[in-house]
Amino acid sequence: MKVLLENLSKHFGKVIAVHEVNLEVRDGEFVALLGPSGCGKTTTLLMIAGIYQPTAGTIKFGERVVNFLPPKERNIGMVFQSYALYPHMTVFANIAFPMILKKVPQVKMRENVKKVADLLQIGNLLDRHPGQLSGGQQQRVALARALGKEPDLLLFDEPLSNLDAKLRLRMRSEIKRLQMELGITSVYVTHDQVEAMTMADRVAVMHEGRLLAYDTPDTLYNRPSTLFTAGFIGSPPMNFLPMRLERKDGAVCLDTGWLCLPLSAEQGDVVARSHMGANVILGIRPEHLAIVPEGDLKATVYVVEPLGREDLVVLRVDENELRVLMPSPFRGEVGQMVSVRLDRSKLHLFDPQTEQALL
Amino acid sequence: MTIRQRISEAIPLILLTILTLPVVLGFVWLVISTFSRRTYGLLPVDTKGNFGGLTLENWKFLVTDKDIWPVTLNTFILAVGLAVGVVLISAMAGYALSRIRFPGRQGFLAMTLILHAFPSVTLLISIYFVLRWISAVPLLGKGLPFIGGFGYNTLGGVILVSVALQLPLGVWLMKGFFDMVSWDMERAALIDGCSRFRAWWQVVLPQIRPGIAALSIFSFISGWGSFLIPYTYMTAQTKSVIAAYLNKLMGETVPMNYSAIAAVGLFQMIPVLIFFIFTQEYLLSIYAGGTKGGQ
Repeated sequence: MKVLLENLSKHFGKVIAVHEVNLEVRDGEFVALLGPSGCGKTTTLLMIAGIYQPTAGTIKFGERVVNFLPPKERNIGMVFQSYALYPHMTVFANIAFPMILKKVPQVKMRENVKKVADLLQIGNLLDRHPGQLSGGQQQRVALARALGKEPDLLLFDEPLSNLDAKLRLRMRSEIKRLQMELGITSVYVTHDQVEAMTMADRVAVMHEGRLLAYDTPDTLYNRPSTLFTAGFIGSPPMNFLPMRLERKDGAVCLDTGWLCLPLSAEQGDVVARSHMGANVILGIRPEHLAIVPEGDLKATVYVVEPLGREDLVVLRVDENELRVLMPSPFRGEVGQMVSVRLDRSKLHLFDPQTEQALL
Repeated sequence: MTIRQRISEAIPLILLTILTLPVVLGFVWLVISTFSRRTYGLLPVDTKGNFGGLTLENWKFLVTDKDIWPVTLNTFILAVGLAVGVVLISAMAGYALSRIRFPGRQGFLAMTLILHAFPSVTLLISIYFVLRWISAVPLLGKGLPFIGGFGYNTLGGVILVSVALQLPLGVWLMKGFFDMVSWDMERAALIDGCSRFRAWWQVVLPQIRPGIAALSIFSFISGWGSFLIPYTYMTAQTKSVIAAYLNKLMGETVPMNYSAIAAVGLFQMIPVLIFFIFTQEYLLSIYAGGTKGGQ
């Protein structure tokens, strides 16, 4: 089932939780709503679920406007961060509950419960109560409960946040596999960008109630359209340096006191018309910087953070910090002067006022 | 275990013993005196003042007084009616106050709190007029089986007034319990296909069972022991309750037969005692943690 949000807004009194969000979820697609806490992603999800009614805008399931449809008539399944299982019912009753309410015949219901329980490997837990299960098992039950009623739409509200790191990794791949196998349209809310990037077909980046970017993980990472997206996605985060766009020796250059970086003719053409002589923000990811004998700029080593496979080297130049990912082990002393090269094909330029990407 | 540890363990026990001793002695006296003609302290004595004089005489009211059983039944109906009424209304009102935002909600909450602190004695006369007015309503006034109706001089009227006076406490208690049920669970129920009412009934209410148990126990006991309201609004002796019956006993017998009064008192206490024996562990766990833990 296709889901369409058009100019969707939600106000709580004077607080604007969600502001004019436009989003299309294709049939069978897995979309992640990604953003820091308080950005309005859960509010958006609860509006799709029918728990909150939008202040303005429309929600469409397929061609049907569902703004005022109560949750029970939307045929959706939802998995919560807190699991939200019914503690007074057995696992079997928990999974069967939505089907009983949907008036699924007894025989089919038992079949369905068994099917989803086997799918999620909780077939042996059906007689227990949620209180007797571990967090991971509870999350499986919650997932089974959402899947059992064969919903048209699956909603996830940070379902993995309460699990430990190892289990989270495993559930991540399991949810993705299940979603692909069953082909149920899914909306997944998370603040964890790795979850969003690894699981979703498309990621919607939200900030302060607005939808800032909506694209495939690959595009968001390699061609971010706004400064916020560029800084939010990727860990360690992108480096940002204030620059001035000048013309030197016939080429368009990024210039500050300690760096003069000529752009390629192609890049130069794009930005020169609008921003010649103006301030811009240069963004470059830590993996696109390298410490080499002869580079573009000189900087001092400030801290070295070993990450295992790589070392994160924090450099200082002027008042700016630069993060560089180097293969481990990095041989260098704190305080040492090193030379850094920028991968010119991986530069990002942003307008400091509009925060839009220029390249 | 060192001596110091033994002493530090013994001190609270000694303190508790000293504090509860007068109460325990009171109950012991109550039991002994119901089986005696007279007592010197805790000792049963006969007419000459010698040890002895044990008798079942004081309990003969159970057989000879034809009023006692209707009165007991009335008390039971009042207690059950009070518990059911208070729990039902408090559970719904508490849910609304906890979950639904509506205009006047804050004011209503504040008002409930004030009402809780309000001495109900001051309302006796005005309630009398309200009950007289209800009496004039056909059927509902005084034409119902069992409880008589909801008007003046009916058991239903007494239940109505008792429920109303108990509600502020009940509503606050229930609101507190509902506040502790997670929103997510209720949302899950709505998404799973419940209506709001069904989510309340099938998912939220079972989470606050300890609260409901506590409130019904309190209400039942306060109904079972209530005196002022039934005494004021029920004039006929056979329609009255045990506490009022007890009161009548004190006025009529001159000189007062304390042993007979003690017997009626003990008779009134028996159901409550049995109740507590079976529920004390459960009640204690509610007092200790606010909710029953586990699960």
